[in-house]
Amino acid sequence: MNDVPVLETRGLGRRFGGLQAVSDVSFSVPKGEVLGVIGPNGAGKSTFINLVTGHIKPTSGKVLIDGKDLTGRKPWTVAHAGVARTFQIVKPFRGMSVRENVAVGVLYGPHHASTMGQAIRRADELLEEVGLVGVADRPPAELSVADARRLEFAKALASSPKLLLLDEVMAGLRPSEIEPSLELILRLKEQGLTILVVEHVMKAILAISDRVLVINQGKVLTSGEPRAVLSDPRVIEAYLGQRYASRRESKDA
Amino acid sequence: MSQLREGARAEAAVPAPAVQPWWRRLAPWGLLALGVVAMLGLQSQIYTGQERTVSAIFMFIALAQGWNLIGGFTGYASFGQVAFFGIGGYTTAVAMVHWQASFWLSLAVSGVVAAIFGGVIGLPLLRLKGHYFAIATLGVAEGMREVVTNLPRLTGGGAGITIPTVGTKATTTYLGNDGFYWLFLGLAALALAISTLVSRNKFGFALRAINQDEDAAGALGINTTRAKVLAFALSGFVCGLVGAAYAFQQAVIYPARLFDVDITVLMVVMVVIGGAGTVVGPLVGAVALQFLSEYLRQNFTDAHIFILGLIIIVGVVLLPQGFVNYVVEARRTGDWSLLSNVRRYRL
Amino acid sequence: MTEFLQATVYGVLQGGLLALVAVGFSLVWGVMNVVNLSHGAFVILGAYVGWMMHDRFGLDPLLGMLVAASVLFVIGYAVQRFLVNLVINGPIFITLLLTFGLSLIIIQAMNVGFTANYRSIHTGYASNSIALGEVHIPLGRLVAFAIAVVVTLLLVALVTRTRTGISILATGMDRGAARLMGIRARHVYALTFGIAAAMAAIAGTMVGTVGTFNPAAAGSYTLLSFVIAVLGGLGNMYGALVGGIVIGLVEAWAGLYLPGTWMNAIAFLVLILVLIARPSGLLGRAFYASRVEV
Repeated sequence: MNDVPVLETRGLGRRFGGLQAVSDVSFSVPKGEVLGVIGPNGAGKSTFINLVTGHIKPTSGKVLIDGKDLTGRKPWTVAHAGVARTFQIVKPFRGMSVRENVAVGVLYGPHHASTMGQAIRRADELLEEVGLVGVADRPPAELSVADARRLEFAKALASSPKLLLLDEVMAGLRPSEIEPSLELILRLKEQGLTILVVEHVMKAILAISDRVLVINQGKVLTSGEPRAVLSDPRVIEAYLGQRYASRRESKDA
Repeated sequence: MSQLREGARAEAAVPAPAVQPWWRRLAPWGLLALGVVAMLGLQSQIYTGQERTVSAIFMFIALAQGWNLIGGFTGYASFGQVAFFGIGGYTTAVAMVHWQASFWLSLAVSGVVAAIFGGVIGLPLLRLKGHYFAIATLGVAEGMREVVTNLPRLTGGGAGITIPTVGTKATTTYLGNDGFYWLFLGLAALALAISTLVSRNKFGFALRAINQDEDAAGALGINTTRAKVLAFALSGFVCGLVGAAYAFQQAVIYPARLFDVDITVLMVVMVVIGGAGTVVGPLVGAVALQFLSEYLRQNFTDAHIFILGLIIIVGVVLLPQGFVNYVVEARRTGDWSLLSNVRRYRL
Repeated sequence: MTEFLQATVYGVLQGGLLALVAVGFSLVWGVMNVVNLSHGAFVILGAYVGWMMHDRFGLDPLLGMLVAASVLFVIGYAVQRFLVNLVINGPIFITLLLTFGLSLIIIQAMNVGFTANYRSIHTGYASNSIALGEVHIPLGRLVAFAIAVVVTLLLVALVTRTRTGISILATGMDRGAARLMGIRARHVYALTFGIAAAMAAIAGTMVGTVGTFNPAAAGSYTLLSFVIAVLGGLGNMYGALVGGIVIGLVEAWAGLYLPGTWMNAIAFLVLILVLIARPSGLLGRAFYASRVEV
């Protein structure tokens, strides 16, 4: 068994002027794990993903992918190392059809398709997988919120990654729309993909995560088995404020 | 706010699917060949003055396609594109005057020099976005004009430099009206061919992805720096070639003319009004605008700049996404109203 | 040494004037992300209004500049309200082209109305100078500098202290939110553009009192405004003062030590270096800096 983690960060941090957005984040994700990352708004979760993918350069610490140091490397270098991501605010290519959006990822991923025809065929397979076949020829502007999120998903899968970073792919979805996404994530996990899920929907986190990492004010607050972490008073305090947490504790006592 | 603007950006509605039957793939090349043949036929039907006018149209078709590579496909509004034109022109002048090079060698060297220049300045400048890129490139063009003006021993300075076209000093016989017609036609065809290739190959896909969302493009594995610099160098190559041909045609060149901001603006206007990021758009824009400004120059000598300004304003207000994209969209939605078109970008 | 001091004094004074030329341009860019390529034409148009007031009615430019400011305010307001607002949500080259087309029209109209001859506003006092040891300080330039500083400070006060100013700032930071607060964005944008044009007119009148102008000079003032706005940092109105003085000094010193017109190239070199090293300007925090969403 290979025990080099797919993703490891050591003391990762980023300062914006006077604001320390992320500081000293160290953890690792072993192969095949689904890691849920939660934290209140503005905790630094998206910044953290941007640090891993090279969209923002860290001011301290290291990022290792498969044991290889990729700290501060450009996004395409990280992508070619097998890391794919979605964006919290969807970023479709507005002038391309849904199919072409996905084909770009196939054409430029680490296992390039050699011809346009191959790329289009692979894109169609991926659209099938995420359930977007019916809208393949439409421009992204005509997609529903849920479909736009699915498109982000399909684009991330286009490069056949080994590590998938999902930044709130379920935000704004109805419960009935969340279910297929969860199934998809579990299917990908079965295929051996390592997945990091940033999410606010707790039900989703509980359903798919092997482990949960809590980030608060740019730091790792705690991590561990999902249910244990979610009932940790420190986590509740981070989300709901200290008064609520202490009231709850006194009630429990 | 910035996201709001981002959301409203002009893109073609839905491009044709990337995999097409062979006859659709070959159609543009057939049309291009047909066009070149037709233009050669046209030449025998027109007199000298008209021949020069049509040559100028060819020149602007090539320039507009050159700008389209960086400004249209890639979405980086270069407002210093005339720098490539000027560098191409002066490379040819200096090579022919000081180094007795033939025009054809100078032409090739000019294209390469302009491309290298594009790569070298592109590396730092393409990190800038939006207005900052526009201004920085404008600064480069203005700066280059000053540099050329201040190297009188090499370039003749502000007084200009003369390429010998007759006698023993002429390294290449002057091409004459017919020759320049063929030369500019060839350059226009070359620029159209490059544009057509880019519009359908993998590289063009990367440029369009960068234009539409650069962060997402990088995340999908596109080396955005390399793609942008290549596009800039390629657009420099095209404009440099055109500048070289223009310099030889004029024989006497001055910094003020070869680095004239108005030439940049004309390229931008032609591409934007025709349809940025398409092959046909800049072609339509260049032909229409050049015809129009020639007509105005001849018939309204005093007011032609005035009318040109009006045309620019009316053009961008009524057709902000360009003529070609407007037609494509209108055909798809069935809405041909220009008023609903105006509504798209207004506050 | 005296030469150097003289050049320095000249550079600072000229810099103040350039700052006044650029401050409106910077305001418009910072608030509505519009690079107004007709700004230089506004400056020259303002100069012509000031010149006419002096030439026809004998009005001192210190009063004439107020007339020029009023006229240009109205023109600026109308241009934004009925023209620029039509394309304000478009890609950047749309607004660039629109304002360029506008400047073509204004310049041509000035060529027809006032001819291409150089003009200047002659006052009795502008050419006098104060001697400080070996260094001479031209009175006209000193007055222009003082006006530039005062007007810039007034603009800062307007923007930070008044209701109107705060609605301008708010709209610049987040138009959507400002509209939700009941701010009429169209009106605020037009107001901002009008104020910028009025500032340009004051600057133009001052340009006319210390030197000469003609319609063809419009382009170079637009370009200088660019350079200064970038140097100072967008939306930072003190930034324009700093940017203006930097450019004034660089050009004065370069003119002293470099032959020919190299000094023009130096200004662009400074611009490009600043853009690459510090895209948000010397003092600036740009409203519209490129950034990754976090």
